[in-house]
Amino acid sequence: MRKILIVDDEEGIRMLYSMELQDDGYEVITLPDGNGLIDVIEKEHPDCVIMDIKMKEFNGLDLLQQIRKQYYDLPVILNSAYSSFKVDLKTVAADYYVVKSSDLTELKEKLKLALETKVP
Amino acid sequence: MKFVEDNPQSITSAEIVVGIPSLNEADLISFPTLQADRGLTKYYPDKSAVIVNVDNNSPDDTHQAFMKTRTETPKIYVSTEEGVTGKGNNLRNLFDKALELEAKAVLVIDADLKSISPMWIRNLAEPLFDDYDFVAPLYIRHKYDVTVTNSIAYPLTRALYGRRVRQPIGGDVAFSNKLARCFAESAIWNDAIAHFGIDAWMTTDAIRTHSSIIQSFMGRPKVHKARDIDSEVGLLFEDVLGTIFELMLHFDSFWKDVKWSRPTAVFGFGLGDIEVPPPVRIDTQMLWDKFVSGVRTKWDFYSKALARESVNKLEEVMDIPAMGFEFPTGLWAKIIYDFAVAYKQASLDRGELIRALIPLHYGKTLSFVIETEAMNNQQVEEFIEDQCLQFEKSKPYLVERWDQF
Repeated sequence: MRKILIVDDEEGIRMLYSMELQDDGYEVITLPDGNGLIDVIEKEHPDCVIMDIKMKEFNGLDLLQQIRKQYYDLPVILNSAYSSFKVDLKTVAADYYVVKSSDLTELKEKLKLALETKVP
Repeated sequence: MKFVEDNPQSITSAEIVVGIPSLNEADLISFPTLQADRGLTKYYPDKSAVIVNVDNNSPDDTHQAFMKTRTETPKIYVSTEEGVTGKGNNLRNLFDKALELEAKAVLVIDADLKSISPMWIRNLAEPLFDDYDFVAPLYIRHKYDVTVTNSIAYPLTRALYGRRVRQPIGGDVAFSNKLARCFAESAIWNDAIAHFGIDAWMTTDAIRTHSSIIQSFMGRPKVHKARDIDSEVGLLFEDVLGTIFELMLHFDSFWKDVKWSRPTAVFGFGLGDIEVPPPVRIDTQMLWDKFVSGVRTKWDFYSKALARESVNKLEEVMDIPAMGFEFPTGLWAKIIYDFAVAYKQASLDRGELIRALIPLHYGKTLSFVIETEAMNNQQVEEFIEDQCLQFEKSKPYLVERWDQF
């Protein structure tokens, strides 16, 4: 079973994504912010990270840079309520950028692509 | 490759080598040389360095213009033999020279750069001291600049090799000693690679050899000698496409196995001001005229080079009037893939084949200009990302056709 790590400071989002993705057959773990993120990745070996950008004390774009330093090929999907962060070139290091919506179709589609990606 | 050398300070080793390839750049080479010198002395005062002009024996005496530029960093001039031209040939000399000097970091900057700052040297070199092997540039560019990159080189290399390197033919790159050796020892070489195909060749080799790759944000937009789409196509198109298609023959066991793509890390944020790229004028009437007349002239050729379905779809596109013209990216991707398959088949002259793609490139560029007219640069980037996804989605079509021949 593919394991997805959700990093988001909104409890409602964490719950919604957990339910939806579990229904789709994924194992889901969550974090409310960037505290201990690298340790969790190290311990849990997620297959993909879905991460918010604007969190109280954390910036998802900085966390993405941290992830890339140690886990170069771990798929990361940035998931923000704001599309304006797209102008920040740091987003280039993410696999995909999906603007939050109550309809999770695009997020699920990008998650599928990220997990299917195969580069020798 | 044999070369002629002028090494007045008898430099025999250097940790950092900055290479400046040139052909007739006497008027412009001093500026990037000075900026490289400032970057090296400011950011790497404790490392030994040398600036190497790798030239094509330029008749305009680029040699003297380079050597007369006053720098603290020592300089070496290296040239191909008389009559041998090509950026690739110059870089081949640079690979050899860098290995001879036992360089840890090798940087390449274009000789006609007008926007380079000392920080470019830091941004290109720094990742190499952090264990990366290949540094590709990431610039802010005008949406109508580098049409060959946006319509073909980026989406195609990304779909083939699975790594998103936004400027695969950017020109200003850096690589480690390990990769310099890999480049120098490569047996894959042809006339296109020896000229402007060299950038696509280096990027592909870096990806294919699983080297650690990073993109470095240069801050300032790339500004060099003025070029319009005509001169860009005339200068680069055949070499870039010839190189990508040639490499597809050699590395099909690699790229056929790739599905979708992965991002490439980025270095260099917050290290300088972001500037707006200068405007690029584009003549849509010229694009339309060259597309229509070129396609009419080459129609019989397309009937041989393209799959039947692509020919039918192209006929549909030809019926669309100039006002509101659109060249669907799905069709564009399949046409590029058809041309790659035809290149493999070799039943048509390969040079003529690549040149036959040029009118279609004008058509695709016209469509891009119309579709992105009201978009800002960020929206255009998203548009290009979507085009890349369409290349990736169409890849099974390529693999299936490739295996038929």
